[in-house]
Amino acid sequence: MLSLIVFLPIIAGLVILAVPSSQKQIIRIVSLLAALAQGVLAVLIWRGYDPSLPGITAGPGGSPLGSFQFVEKIPWISLQLGGFGSLNIEYFLGVDGISVTMVILTALVSAIGVLSSWTIQKQVKGYFILYNLLATAMMGCFVALDFFLFYVFWELMLLPMYFLIGIWGGPNREYAAIKFFLYTLFGSVFMLLVMIGLYFSVIDPVTGNHTFSLVAMANQANYIKGAILGPDNVMWRYVAFSVLFVGFAIKVPMFPFHTWLPDAHVEAPTPISVILAGVLLKLGTYGMMRINFPLFPEVFHASLYVIGIFGAINIIYGAFCALAQQDLKKMVAYSSISHMGYVLLGLAAGNSEGMVGALYQMFNHGTITAMLFLLVGVIYDRAHTRQIDKFGGLASYMPVYAAFVTVAWFASLGLPGLSGFISEALVFVGAFSSVTTRYIAMVSVLGIVFGAAYLLWSLQRMFLGQRKPDAAYDLVVGDDGHEHIHFHDWKGKIDLDGRELVMLVPLVVITIFLGIYPMPVLGMLTTSINKLVQVLSPLAMR
Amino acid sequence: MHSLIQLSIVVLLLPLLSFVILIFFNRRLPRRGDFIGVGILGTAFAISAYIFWSVIVQTYDPAFRIAWDFTWIDLGNVPGVGPLKIKMGVVIDNLTAIMLAMVTLISLLVHLYSTGYMAGDKNYGRYFAFLGIFTFSMLGIVLSDNLFSIYIFWELVGLSSYLLIGFFFEKQSAADAQKKAFLANRVGDIGMWLGILILYSQFHTFSFEQIYANLAAGKFTLSNAWLTAAGILLFMGCVGKSAQFPLHIWLPDAMEGPTPVSALIHAATMVAAGVYFVARIFVVLTPDALHVIAFIGAFTAFMAATIAITQNDIKRVLAYSTVSQLGYMVLGLGVGAYSAALFHLVTHAFFKACLFLGSGAIIHAMHHEQDMRWMGGLRKHMPWTFATFTLATLALAGLPLTSGFMSKDAILAGAIGFAQVEGGGVYYLIPVLGFFSAMLTAFYMGRQIWLVFFGESRTHLKPVDNHHSDHHAHGAADEQHGVHEVHEVSWNMRAPLVILAVLSVFIVYSPNPLDGAEGWFMKMIKTPATVVGPANHNSSGALIQASSAPLMAEAQPAAGAHSATDSPAESAGEHASVKGGEHTFADPRQAEIAHASHGAHFTAIYISSIMVVLGISMAFVVYVFKIIDPEKTAQAIRPLYLFSLNKWYWDEIYQATFIKGSIVISKILSWFDTNVVDGIVNGVALVVKKFAFANNSFDKYVVDGLVNFTAFSVNTTGAVLRKLQTGKVQTYVVMLLLAVFGYFVFYFTRLIY
Repeated sequence: MLSLIVFLPIIAGLVILAVPSSQKQIIRIVSLLAALAQGVLAVLIWRGYDPSLPGITAGPGGSPLGSFQFVEKIPWISLQLGGFGSLNIEYFLGVDGISVTMVILTALVSAIGVLSSWTIQKQVKGYFILYNLLATAMMGCFVALDFFLFYVFWELMLLPMYFLIGIWGGPNREYAAIKFFLYTLFGSVFMLLVMIGLYFSVIDPVTGNHTFSLVAMANQANYIKGAILGPDNVMWRYVAFSVLFVGFAIKVPMFPFHTWLPDAHVEAPTPISVILAGVLLKLGTYGMMRINFPLFPEVFHASLYVIGIFGAINIIYGAFCALAQQDLKKMVAYSSISHMGYVLLGLAAGNSEGMVGALYQMFNHGTITAMLFLLVGVIYDRAHTRQIDKFGGLASYMPVYAAFVTVAWFASLGLPGLSGFISEALVFVGAFSSVTTRYIAMVSVLGIVFGAAYLLWSLQRMFLGQRKPDAAYDLVVGDDGHEHIHFHDWKGKIDLDGRELVMLVPLVVITIFLGIYPMPVLGMLTTSINKLVQVLSPLAMR
Repeated sequence: MHSLIQLSIVVLLLPLLSFVILIFFNRRLPRRGDFIGVGILGTAFAISAYIFWSVIVQTYDPAFRIAWDFTWIDLGNVPGVGPLKIKMGVVIDNLTAIMLAMVTLISLLVHLYSTGYMAGDKNYGRYFAFLGIFTFSMLGIVLSDNLFSIYIFWELVGLSSYLLIGFFFEKQSAADAQKKAFLANRVGDIGMWLGILILYSQFHTFSFEQIYANLAAGKFTLSNAWLTAAGILLFMGCVGKSAQFPLHIWLPDAMEGPTPVSALIHAATMVAAGVYFVARIFVVLTPDALHVIAFIGAFTAFMAATIAITQNDIKRVLAYSTVSQLGYMVLGLGVGAYSAALFHLVTHAFFKACLFLGSGAIIHAMHHEQDMRWMGGLRKHMPWTFATFTLATLALAGLPLTSGFMSKDAILAGAIGFAQVEGGGVYYLIPVLGFFSAMLTAFYMGRQIWLVFFGESRTHLKPVDNHHSDHHAHGAADEQHGVHEVHEVSWNMRAPLVILAVLSVFIVYSPNPLDGAEGWFMKMIKTPATVVGPANHNSSGALIQASSAPLMAEAQPAAGAHSATDSPAESAGEHASVKGGEHTFADPRQAEIAHASHGAHFTAIYISSIMVVLGISMAFVVYVFKIIDPEKTAQAIRPLYLFSLNKWYWDEIYQATFIKGSIVISKILSWFDTNVVDGIVNGVALVVKKFAFANNSFDKYVVDGLVNFTAFSVNTTGAVLRKLQTGKVQTYVVMLLLAVFGYFVFYFTRLIY
């Protein structure tokens, strides 16, 4: 099941390889079918998922089966290394509450990304092959339970992303692509070192061999005393935690490692922005929850304050930077930084409310930000500019578009009744309940006000009032005597067309539904989060 | 589930249904679906009226309370806490029943009125949809049984307010006003949210009942200062929503919305939600928190009244009057006059809605003229509006026989009692500000009535091309009227005025026009006992009786009121006539204030009547008899006049500090981000690049140079040596001899040294 959902896109990519590049429509449809099949599988996984199993660590008897679900575990690489013993790498997939949430999100956002890619005209074949490769890598990251396998998928993501930004991006695309690539690579180099260190410090209790299994690594009893990252080697454990954290924090992105994000977003084509903000950023915080924290719980506990402060900086700093932006897409990019700060804050709370909020925020930010970038793409397609001041009064002429923007913007500013509110609220509840992060939470609530400020301000400047004199569109009086909007060289429908509605409506429905009744998602993840909190709590440590 | 709970949920969901139907289908429905909005609200009101009837009339029990909840979020078995669930629920008590009926009634009347007022607007259907979602959110606040759901509906009310203020969004001023309203409310909301978090972090529950039970049991582990902070922070929500100082600035601007919306949201219901919320959390407020609340309320009441006297826009006068009256309610809660404050909430809702709808009728009839300076003489043209407007004005000014008189007097009596108990001094500022504001209220309302309805029409005095472009969204409606013909509005706009005016008469609330305490309202809404004060549950009763006996002795014959303690001996003997109204306070402070307030009842009536008469006579002196010329007076006290006209310059102050400040900070941080943070990144990249180039040079010139040099030297040596490989035996012999000779030289040199 999991192998299928991971490798479906790459199969589609292979099929596309055989299709002549002139058959653009076939290429698109093959990709769409793969994405839809992935969606169906995600629904099956969701339906088949048993929320009572905790995940995080191994179940009874050290086997992952009683704890993880849809497990696939076969030996992959086995090498005898003489004096070092043997190198055992497993093809080990499985989901628990944390990853199943992200699997569903990934399937959803990938499918919407394919629809959004319909307008790509340049080298369609190459684009979709890379896109499918990316989809496989992302999905693989979320279901891999072997650190080595995770690392393979993690690195595999970089290649298609680099080309998707570097070839199909905006004017400054090469700079943005290289920046993204190098930044992420910088983080993963350290991850590789820590991974090797962990391998030699952990013993699989069942086989007695060294292992890359994250499930085994999450249990502190499996660490060898005296090993490089063994329980008594405090300094190296701190170092390992820190470099791993930086590696993941770059992906989040956390201040001060965030500057690749606005550049990447501004240059990336709309579907890639959607993927980037919708899924890729979550890999950072997912990595923290899956790897960084449970492997080094005592260091995590000592760093709560620091993580919380970085979360608060992300929230407030991101919001202020968003307030100053003139480019709508850049504003949304900074809003992502701000909203990912809530995830960090929730994680720093270290309690169930905060962690549930953080994971739920990851899901909701995925859907809401996907919506935001799609909406930015809509106006950019038509007007070829994203300058906020080049519009004004759009609500009168594009009412449907304005309605969607209003819903998305309000979802982003955390309006109750929409999903983002619940996750933000839980994050604050958790952060405030924890004595460590209480004062950080008190400062972070400012993000609620400034979040509303930049969103409402941009909404007003673009949609309300009257057309600005230097606007990027003209008004013409139509046959019916009413004024109509006219974009230069835009032949399509002025207001949202069918394809755009197909992309946006599901996201809006999900946002509203999960804002009113969050249990379909929360029900899946609470058991795992409670288990994670237990694993991380100081009481559980030796 | 109790049947009343079921009905209340139906009432809650009906307006949401109206919203959903109208937002999606209004263009496909005849009349844009306005009849659906009105019909649904009519149903909701009918059900609410039934609930009101069952609870207030049939049950008639001050302690009536039913509740129901369900699990909304189940967080599972949380480590360190145990099973944790976040619940949502509905509570019905007397206050809820009254508020339900009030909100649905005013909403229904506003729906009806809007069918006339908004006729012809291009977004007519959407307008009713927005009214629906507003009513839904407001009812949600009223019915909530926990802090979390009240916060949710609180923000949703903010959203509906945002949508309705900006209904004419093509107007820049409307778009500004809606943003300002939402942001000012959000500032209040974050305070409220922090207050909620303080309480949650202690008890892991949002439910009012559980929080109160835990507090009463003394389970609050943080210091008392945190509890006071929680109270003040929760109150910040009220400061935002009920437009109290310092967040009052959004409400006057909110008048950019359609006038019926101003009546519903920005006068009667939403802004009262803040007061309602403080009443809900009243029992957790510590005396310190209550003092803050009382002073903020008093200051707001006074400040807004001083602004109202110089405004020229008919709606702005009413807006500042609303702020001022909300200040009264907040003041009332702060001083502990709980039932009086809520009484004023209800009476104010009706007469202020009447005033706003009346002003809407005037504006409608005057073709969207809002400036009172160009009105006048409307009494003859609009008799219905005139009559209802005047009645509501009397209630607002607080003249006897009106509802406003009873409620305002009860608050002021509470303020006097509070000042006495707290030991006088600075606390007397609160009643003094209250009475002074009463005078100002009478003055500015007298001024308004005179300017609008009496004298001759001054339409022709208006300077040409002033701000005629306002409300251009009503273009179609404008054309239907003549050019200068003012006439009475149609029945669907008149009926709400009449109903609301009738509800401003004393008899609706109390048989005794001088004492609201004898009415059903104040008997059904009793001050709840605090759960945080210096409670001394066992001995306090006797203590209070001893200390307050003299006060009571004075109060009883004069006021004929009931005692606030239920000492069996006293109640049975002297207050046998008072039924069901007896009330116990475990907290000595509360009990003492209640006693003192009863004692102050007539004092308050005397002083406030004098103040009102003073205010009205002043209005007469200035505007009717024209003994004092307002223009000249304004010139004489120009700084004061400008101070009032410019609303104490709060907007300018906020603009210069918070708004400018935020934008400057955002610019600085954005600069920092592109130049410093990203600069470092690019700098590192540059350094790496430079290093790479240097490395390249090293590679090229040193490493590769060495390689090449080796090759070169081998090459050169080879070339030199090649010269030796001549192939001639003689040369080799010479070289051999030279070598042998050299060896001998070397050998002998070694020997010598």
